[in-house]
Amino acid sequence: MRPTTRTPMCAGLAAAAVVAAVLGATVQPLSAQYPSDPPPAGPVKALPFPDVQEAELSNGARLLLIEDHDLPVVSLRLSMRAGQRDDPLGREGLAAMTSELLTKGTASRTAEEIAEAIEGVGGSLSAGAGADFFQVFSTVLSDDVELAFELMSDVLLRSTYPEDELELVRTQALSVLQLQKSDPGALASQAFMRGLYGDHPYGRRQTEESAKAITRDDVQNWADTHLRPQGALLTIAGDLTLEQATSFASRYFGEWGGAAPRVEYAPPPAEEPTEIVLVHRPGSAQSNIIVGNRATRPIGDGTYYAADVANKILGGGTDARLFMILREERGWTYGAYSGLPTRLDGGYFQATAEVRTPVTDSALVEMMHQIRRMQTEPVPDSTMAAAKGYLVGSYPLSIETPQQIASRVANAVLFGRGIDFVRTYGQQVDAVAASEVMNAAKLVFKPDSAVVVVVGDGQEVYDALSVIAPVRIIDVEGEPLAVEDLTPKAAALVLDPAQIVARRDSFQIVAQGNPIGTQVTEMVLDGGALTVRETTNIAMAGMLQESEAVLTIDPLAMQSVDQTMTFRGQTGETHLSFADGRVTGTATTPQPTGQFEAKEIDATLLEGVVDQNVMAVIVPALALAEGASFTLNTFDASEGTTTPLTVAVAGVEEVTVPAGTFSAFRVEIAGGQQPVTMFVSQETPRRVVKIAPTGQPIAIELVQ
Amino acid sequence: MVRSLFFLGTAVGLAATPLAAQAPVEFEQYTLSNGLRVILAPDPAASVVTVNVWYNVGSRNERPGRSGFAHLFEHMMFQGSANVDKGEHMQLVERAGGNMNGSTNTDRTNYFETLPPNRLNLGLWLEADRMRSLAITDDNFENQRETVKEERRLRVDNQPYAPAFTEGLTLPYDSTTCFPYSHTVIGSMDDLNAARTADVQEFFDLYYAPSNATLTVVGDFDPVETKALIEQYFGDVPAAEEPSPVECEVAYGDLGGRTVMPDQHANLPAVLIAFLIPEHDHADTPALTLLGTILGQGESSRLNRALVRDAQSALQALAFVDSRRGPGQFIAGAIANQGVGYDTLETQLWAEIGTVVAEGVTEAELEKAKNSYRADQIYGRQTTMGMAETLQHFAHFHDTIEDINSELGRYMAVTLDDVRRVAGAYLVPGNAHTVIAQPAEAGAAGEEGADR
Repeated sequence: MRPTTRTPMCAGLAAAAVVAAVLGATVQPLSAQYPSDPPPAGPVKALPFPDVQEAELSNGARLLLIEDHDLPVVSLRLSMRAGQRDDPLGREGLAAMTSELLTKGTASRTAEEIAEAIEGVGGSLSAGAGADFFQVFSTVLSDDVELAFELMSDVLLRSTYPEDELELVRTQALSVLQLQKSDPGALASQAFMRGLYGDHPYGRRQTEESAKAITRDDVQNWADTHLRPQGALLTIAGDLTLEQATSFASRYFGEWGGAAPRVEYAPPPAEEPTEIVLVHRPGSAQSNIIVGNRATRPIGDGTYYAADVANKILGGGTDARLFMILREERGWTYGAYSGLPTRLDGGYFQATAEVRTPVTDSALVEMMHQIRRMQTEPVPDSTMAAAKGYLVGSYPLSIETPQQIASRVANAVLFGRGIDFVRTYGQQVDAVAASEVMNAAKLVFKPDSAVVVVVGDGQEVYDALSVIAPVRIIDVEGEPLAVEDLTPKAAALVLDPAQIVARRDSFQIVAQGNPIGTQVTEMVLDGGALTVRETTNIAMAGMLQESEAVLTIDPLAMQSVDQTMTFRGQTGETHLSFADGRVTGTATTPQPTGQFEAKEIDATLLEGVVDQNVMAVIVPALALAEGASFTLNTFDASEGTTTPLTVAVAGVEEVTVPAGTFSAFRVEIAGGQQPVTMFVSQETPRRVVKIAPTGQPIAIELVQ
Repeated sequence: MVRSLFFLGTAVGLAATPLAAQAPVEFEQYTLSNGLRVILAPDPAASVVTVNVWYNVGSRNERPGRSGFAHLFEHMMFQGSANVDKGEHMQLVERAGGNMNGSTNTDRTNYFETLPPNRLNLGLWLEADRMRSLAITDDNFENQRETVKEERRLRVDNQPYAPAFTEGLTLPYDSTTCFPYSHTVIGSMDDLNAARTADVQEFFDLYYAPSNATLTVVGDFDPVETKALIEQYFGDVPAAEEPSPVECEVAYGDLGGRTVMPDQHANLPAVLIAFLIPEHDHADTPALTLLGTILGQGESSRLNRALVRDAQSALQALAFVDSRRGPGQFIAGAIANQGVGYDTLETQLWAEIGTVVAEGVTEAELEKAKNSYRADQIYGRQTTMGMAETLQHFAHFHDTIEDINSELGRYMAVTLDDVRRVAGAYLVPGNAHTVIAQPAEAGAAGEEGADR
């Protein structure tokens, strides 16, 4: 490391600073005092655990209060022992839909009246179903605390689950399911939980079928059965006394009663040797990786605390090994973390990273290596001290607000650890020895029987992953795929010969409205063969490119591409031959780094594949019409791979370019490195009139 | 059901607008001889202390060809300095039981640590060390450039609706008159690739001087001891010349554009209508902010009632003010439900906006928005970090930090006429740029997607 020191510049703001800097060079009155080591910790200020007041309610629920009058705010949280865990088979998502519907109408209020009432005072009211607990939350200014109790009670005791609200929730659920298919994080998590828990409710997720199957009776029955006060926890934080709290609680929840049944499930699937589930997401810019296993950690023998230390060292933050190695050392990812989520029926371990596609296998291997290292290599004392420093030292940060305290206490009580767990956590962690961390790592990390999920472009990552462990491929719907399915299918493209005529088009290249270069495209027809010659010249950028591509139209088949390019003093040549089912040749092209690199090209040639150089000829000859969409497999010489591009007609627009005003199809081309909009005149023979990369101030416009 | 956070999650750089609660905020401010502005707000009841530094630089200070620099620089600030090794900053803070981070938006870059009170000295020293001697090396720079490119892939290139929320929201600004807001915070891959280590050094010398920074300390600390520490750690860092001012000219009412952005990762179309509005410290901001709440915040908001509940055309609908130090935006938008095309959403959004322009809002709606605003100001002050950001906001977005104790009054004084006037002045088609995220795959939706 070679630190540089700031050079003093003109101290325009204060002459005194200049004087100080000049003096500093000789006398150093101030910098002498500047310490070159981190200053030592001052004495720890005793911070007693905040008082937790308790009361038993006559309906069997328990009330906890963290009283704090600093700010006029009160937060309520009512937790019941029911959740996703209690979704019946075929009705996955029922608990979650019930929680959505809970605030959507009661015997005396419509959904809108509920929303108006709580939002009208700047408060919030919401319900949510987690894996094990169903919770209702409300935060209000303390003047409005009775309203919070009243609304909570109304929705829990007198919710009507209106049919039309169910339909709305169902429509939204179906849309969310659609959105999740486009969200790599959601896809990874779903596949991972499925792999861990199989048919146990933790492993099942709402599907389109289950969302459609749920009826109003299902919701009403589920709520009547499961939303019961016995064993429930009402946690209150903020500007309220215990007397007020119990008085409101008995007034608004006094008539509520009963206990929820507890369903026991068959154990989740037995552990199998590590397998990789590859969720194929074509065109994914990154791979989302999750590695993990089911993990229980007993609290009585201290494993619980030792496992927390192990997780902290492995991936519990930015000071941990996964982050430091995958992000800081290698620059493979924006983040890499691990965790040990708790579940009533047994929790799990997971390590996650989102990495760029080419390093997918390297990142997975490194993650597995770091997990094994925790089991085989004693943790150095300095690492132990660092991990404990955070787990113990962050205590003041975990109790900054009464809501944070309430949340910690409620979680400890709900998972059966008791309030003392929160009080003694620091001491317990402090007492963990390095040997106990290694033992805990052996117990809770299972790299040889792990569930590994990779969401990414299967075509790019399959081969490298299959070297690490057996790979099972599925699509974003969860359906199995074969290895062959990863390769883009040849699409039967039909071109309209009437659109392809011999001609010469001149374009200007403009940046932010100013011409900066020219492009000339010439098409020569000779029997069934079409030769496309293109010259692009941007003198100010030192760029000159000349290319010649030959192809047949019917059937559509590339024959050859020859290209030379000069860019800022570097020169590249590309020569490709398309024959006998293969693309072969050499390509020296600019890479994302800005440097030219030479590549030998030898790749499978799929039927209907065209070189990227002839896109401007092929697109106008497609059966363009409003709303039409095509998949075009294109060969990219700089990557040496075939990429499916989506060509979609987004509408018809008047486009004015130097050659005149044209009624043109607006064609959006996506799926490549840079989305592009191409405008193609409607009149036969169609011509490209303008090409504009999305989000860039550059365009190519037809001149004549 | 987990409510979709795509909209909120990708809305970058929303300026916080926190302000006066009931009790006045007590603070002290002064300036060191090198120009470092200091704001101290002791709170002996707090269990922690927050050190928070804002540098007066954001993506709006970047030059053409150098987009993404302010954010790339934020990463460099964690790569070590004269007395702190690469990565050690995070380690020292975590091991002290604290947390820390930094963030960049259009208008500022912030860095902060929340720590147990006995480690305040560590937070101050870490901020001082990197202000006086950041390690700008080729290795550090290359490594962080790759990390930033990965962040771009994660947050922009690989997420549905991210292009509309990043590139899309630069479109209302003309790059020839307002480059500052006509490019994204994360910047272009090309510019990131073209960046050289010397550019980073130049950027640091200009923008990371004490004379361009504000240090705020909030929580449990002794002001006298802390002032002495601040002088010891920061007092001899040299000042720099003042950076040139940011120029952004916009022509209200001269927009009317519409851009369809194919979105490879979206399955449902989305529409964002962005209206240009004045800078944050403008008399119209309170009325516009309350109008944003009435139109598009919460279940009882107009857009939610009309699009999500009544027409059932949208999965999610919202409106909010993206307030900036220069001209900002009022954004109204929605994600379509399955089978609904973007034209339908667009028509319905305009219908709701048109009603507000023509008829204004009701007394009850305005009252609700004011209550909501007041409550949010109080909620925002529950943590030392929230309070520190609030103080910084006033120090940078307002003429005077004293506004912190009078701002609530300005919001409470907004009248029905004010709301109707600002709606008519800004929420009109000629002052809007519409951004449409269209799923790139055929058949998902949007058959009615013909451009007009």
